[in-house]
Amino acid sequence: MVKSNRADKGKERDVACTHCGEPVRVATRAMSIFCPHCKQRLILEDYRIRAYQASRLFATCGDIVVEESGFVSAPIRVANLTVRGRIQGDIDARGVVSVSATGRIRGDVRASRLKVAAGATLDGFFRIAPDAVSLTS
Amino acid sequence: MQERKTQKEGTMGSNSSDDFTTVIGPDAVFKGELRFEKGVRHLGAFEGQIETKGHLLIAEGARLVGEVSAGNIDVEGNVKGNLKSSGKVRLTSSAKLEGDLHTSRLEVADGAVFIGRCVVGSNGTAKPVENKPADANANKGPVEVVKK
Repeated sequence: MVKSNRADKGKERDVACTHCGEPVRVATRAMSIFCPHCKQRLILEDYRIRAYQASRLFATCGDIVVEESGFVSAPIRVANLTVRGRIQGDIDARGVVSVSATGRIRGDVRASRLKVAAGATLDGFFRIAPDAVSLTS
Repeated sequence: MQERKTQKEGTMGSNSSDDFTTVIGPDAVFKGELRFEKGVRHLGAFEGQIETKGHLLIAEGARLVGEVSAGNIDVEGNVKGNLKSSGKVRLTSSAKLEGDLHTSRLEVADGAVFIGRCVVGSNGTAKPVENKPADANANKGPVEVVKK
């Protein structure tokens, strides 16, 4: 059992629901909650993917890092995404999508910001704008 | 000569006036087809097709509607159309690009707006992403949750 850190006790942060896009205030230590607006379950954790991962939808209010050995075959909804490996699927990111030299994306991307290193490979329809992500639309 | 060329390549993106032998002024409104060998600085309004092997700068406040094929492209203004670059495309914070983009390298500054199909890779042709994982044994491996 993980003991709660006293320093984090009572601290809160704002996230956006990955289903309805509404802002939700959550405890920093919370790992998942139910959205008070749409009643859907929200994952709040950060993920680091080092292997093949396929699913119907990969959604978190946290950040995702796809390592060089990682390969995600799924639509992704995330706050910030770092791609060092491969992604096949559409991406909705509220923050930054960062693609390093070894990163490869095939799919449509909606994000507020995009960072692309030399050597990265992208293929898809991109919508990069400060207000690009609106999950309700 | 070789030394000068190297120096120019090193300062790519600095937009020094030496890079641009042709300037389309801010009060120019042009429709048609333009072909250049060297750099172009576009400050006005243009509708049509631009083809250059050199560096194309679409300055802040400039508008371009049409097709562009160039070596390196810097976008600071508004572009509606397709860009094809054999080198690097740079979108600055004031850039607004609506159209398809084919390039080898892409640099997007915070605040830039880009809506369109994007193919980034060697010579603007993205390598296909294989459907199978690189390691056959790594079939649906674990996902690590990062502890905060």
